[in-house]
Amino acid sequence: MTNTKPQIKIIDCTTGEEIVRDANADEIAIIKERQTRAISMQAEAEAKETAKAELLNRLGITTEEAALLLS
Amino acid sequence: MAKQTFSVGQTLTAAQMTSLQQTAMLGGAASAKTASYTLVAADAGSAISMSNASATTITVNTALFAAGDTVQITNLGAGVCTITAGTATVNTSASLALAQYESGTLDFTSTSAAIFIKGAGAAATSGGMTLISTTTLTGSQIDLTSIPQTYINLKMVVRNFKPANDGAILELIFQDYNATNRQRLNTNWTNADNLAMDDYRSRISSGQDNTVADLSLITIDFPDYTNTTTAKMGYSIATTNYDANTANFNVRYQTLFYNQTTAITKLTLFPSSGNFTSGTVLLYGVK
Repeated sequence: MTNTKPQIKIIDCTTGEEIVRDANADEIAIIKERQTRAISMQAEAEAKETAKAELLNRLGITTEEAALLLS
Repeated sequence: MAKQTFSVGQTLTAAQMTSLQQTAMLGGAASAKTASYTLVAADAGSAISMSNASATTITVNTALFAAGDTVQITNLGAGVCTITAGTATVNTSASLALAQYESGTLDFTSTSAAIFIKGAGAAATSGGMTLISTTTLTGSQIDLTSIPQTYINLKMVVRNFKPANDGAILELIFQDYNATNRQRLNTNWTNADNLAMDDYRSRISSGQDNTVADLSLITIDFPDYTNTTTAKMGYSIATTNYDANTANFNVRYQTLFYNQTTAITKLTLFPSSGNFTSGTVLLYGVK
């Protein structure tokens, strides 16, 4: 059976010991939370890019021309 | 020559005398090891060399050595060789980790305790960099813990960062994740005022998951990481493959801030989503 739990590698920089273990419940919750946040941020960035492109299209100007206007 | 117990009237051979002379003059052949090794009583008074491309350990246990016994250890391999206290106590004023071509001597003060006296080797006691740790990027998260507090600065190098998810970002947390330990990333080394410490991690740079050779290189410096009176910071330079066009690169210059006075003993790395596919992280101590 495949282990699907997230794996965490812990390195003790003083002794050199390395341990790879399954994430515990708290750590899984943190990993899920940050991954949800990453997806949300990516969607937000993509929506912003789409809105920007649509606005430029409506105005009939290029990105460079928009930058020139704002400079 | 390992420590011997000679008896009255014993005849010493020429070979024994030569070996003893070599030992007395700090010469003689080292006992070559190529894998992690636990010291045995016969190692007293001898030299051991380690050679392995990956990290190894030399374990020290009690009831094998007497006060005054010494064991010299030299690391010839690219992997860090770390002197590890098994059942014995091992103290040092430096690091127990030997980078390639570093050497040190275990000086036993009792049957259960030794002092590790690290030689100058490649890691100078003042000035220069010492490789503290090197490990591959695997799984969901890498925790670098128990970071030695004997250096002035830390330098982290991440080679060939490749996430499983295209465009996933390499992120870093100082110390532990909680509600008060907050941090902030400032991009492009621009001046910034009134920055809120409103995040729990610093986003370094994105990577690509394609099968082409990944050429990304990231360095992060952490100055004065052991002081306990100021907030902490890092500054990074990152070049990573652009996920939408692998021939192109992202280049980022960033400053990382951490709002706690705690000395940095732990750094955590993870991709913003999914797992690491590959890559290597090296942590150096800088004096």
